[in-house]
Amino acid sequence: MSVLSVQQISKNYGAVKALSNVSFEVPQGSVYGILGPNGSGKTTLLGIVMDVLKASGGQFLWNGQPGDADQRKRIGTLLETPNFYSYLSAEKNLEIAARIKERGLDDIDRVLQVVNLHQRRSSKFNTYSLGMKQRLAIASALLGDPDILVFDEPTNGLDPAGIAEIRELIIELNRQGKTIIMASHILDEVERVCTHVTIIQKGVLKTSGTVQEVLSASGETDVLIEIAADNITGLETIIRQFPGVKDVKMTGQGLSVLCTENVSSGQLNKYCFEKGVVLTQLNMKKKNLETRFLEITGKQSDR
Amino acid sequence: MLKLFKIEWLKINTYRTFWLLFGTFVVFFPLTVFFSASKYMEQTAHGRGGGPNPEDIAKALIGAPFVFPKIWQTSAWFGGHFFVIIGMLFVMLITNEVQYRTHRQNIIDGWSRLDFLRAKASLMFFFVIAATLLVFITGIITGLAFSSPGADLFEDVHYVAYFALMAFHYLLIGFFIAILVKRTGLAVIVYFISVYVIDGLLWLLLTIRGNQMGYFLPFESVDALIPSPFTPEMMKLRTVADYSLLISTAVYVSLFTYLIVNRFKNADLKT
Repeated sequence: MSVLSVQQISKNYGAVKALSNVSFEVPQGSVYGILGPNGSGKTTLLGIVMDVLKASGGQFLWNGQPGDADQRKRIGTLLETPNFYSYLSAEKNLEIAARIKERGLDDIDRVLQVVNLHQRRSSKFNTYSLGMKQRLAIASALLGDPDILVFDEPTNGLDPAGIAEIRELIIELNRQGKTIIMASHILDEVERVCTHVTIIQKGVLKTSGTVQEVLSASGETDVLIEIAADNITGLETIIRQFPGVKDVKMTGQGLSVLCTENVSSGQLNKYCFEKGVVLTQLNMKKKNLETRFLEITGKQSDR
Repeated sequence: MLKLFKIEWLKINTYRTFWLLFGTFVVFFPLTVFFSASKYMEQTAHGRGGGPNPEDIAKALIGAPFVFPKIWQTSAWFGGHFFVIIGMLFVMLITNEVQYRTHRQNIIDGWSRLDFLRAKASLMFFFVIAATLLVFITGIITGLAFSSPGADLFEDVHYVAYFALMAFHYLLIGFFIAILVKRTGLAVIVYFISVYVIDGLLWLLLTIRGNQMGYFLPFESVDALIPSPFTPEMMKLRTVADYSLLISTAVYVSLFTYLIVNRFKNADLKT
């Protein structure tokens, strides 16, 4: 049985369709990534399954039952931004959450330690930095050791060390058998952490399945080649004319070139050299979620 | 309900604005009644001799607002005026949750939408009970201090019950405005305009030439149950009976309760 079953969920804001007929199943024990650009409807979807937003159509089931308050008490959730009483300490805020969840108060110390906030437990929430607020929200989600966790952009506002910690934590929680549903716009994050993924764009579900399935589903075997040269713009112009190149994207270090499988790095290097460009970097990469994601959602930034 | 109230209490017991406004009511309302009483009794205690003087005329017209049994009406009337502070506080406590999105968090953590409303209702009852007790205590202390011995203490004590109803009704309308308007500043302004301006203006319009319609306005229904103790008997315009005002208040209570529940149950909880 699925932990969460989303069936034909739609949400309209006036004429705007935030979600149209979204359906997917979250299997038990998975780390389920909901991937999509900003404004694609991820948070709206999570808001609906947590009953803070009302769907315009469709339904959802938690463990086969229509969602209700008692089920939410046993789900740990971080939705959008951390929401706490600004004049209360971390401890008091967690006490309120624990009482609502009808859990013992003895778990508060443990969750504060997990997210490294134990020393600051008596400080008021409004004295916290963005990263600390985020960690407190994760602590709150962990209260009572729930079997299901819902994280909306869990690494938002964290520094690199914090991001690594939270990813480790998610993987560890999954190892303990917990099901984690995670919305993110960070492809790398989903690729590293998730077992399953669903891709949403403009409120429409594009694809879903295990990360492996989604990666190989295109049936094509495109390759991704990363190249760089001193004159990047010149390189981009000539590389676009190379037969077999499907897409060229500027990255921090150079260009990321998506080609059909018959293109080899040798050919590409030779071609550039003949055009008078010396490559300073040439990297053949297996296709990753990013390329797949761009294939599915298109390249325009209005995604 | 008690469990919900405990959580509400956790939210407010270290909130400064709560103590400031609640404290203002608890301190200034009884003091105002008591000092008004002592001033009034002092002024009307001795005639200056040689014919009627203004104070005696006032006393004859108004009666004795600070002694039993009229003190109950007086205490309730003063209490009603001060209670608007609590109304404002209650509006703020609800809109704060919306602005900081903690109402969303409460639902996410496992309250139903109704639980959230019930929790706020528990806070309403707390305010109503606390304020009613204070009206009672203020009434009995002031009454005992200024009445002559042997007076019937509990004649007209029903004004204290009217006060409880009035306090409840004021909070309920505040609840409705807070759920509807959501922004703290705006909601407080709308609340004050509703209390002082809209009801007052409509009342003036609707009571022209002794028409009694004005007494059935949302606030006026309960306000009219506790008329000003300083209005001379002969200047009273109201002819509708208390029980019809009680019925009209009950209708408003049901209506606002329905609107609040209906609105909050189906709304998208956003800021």
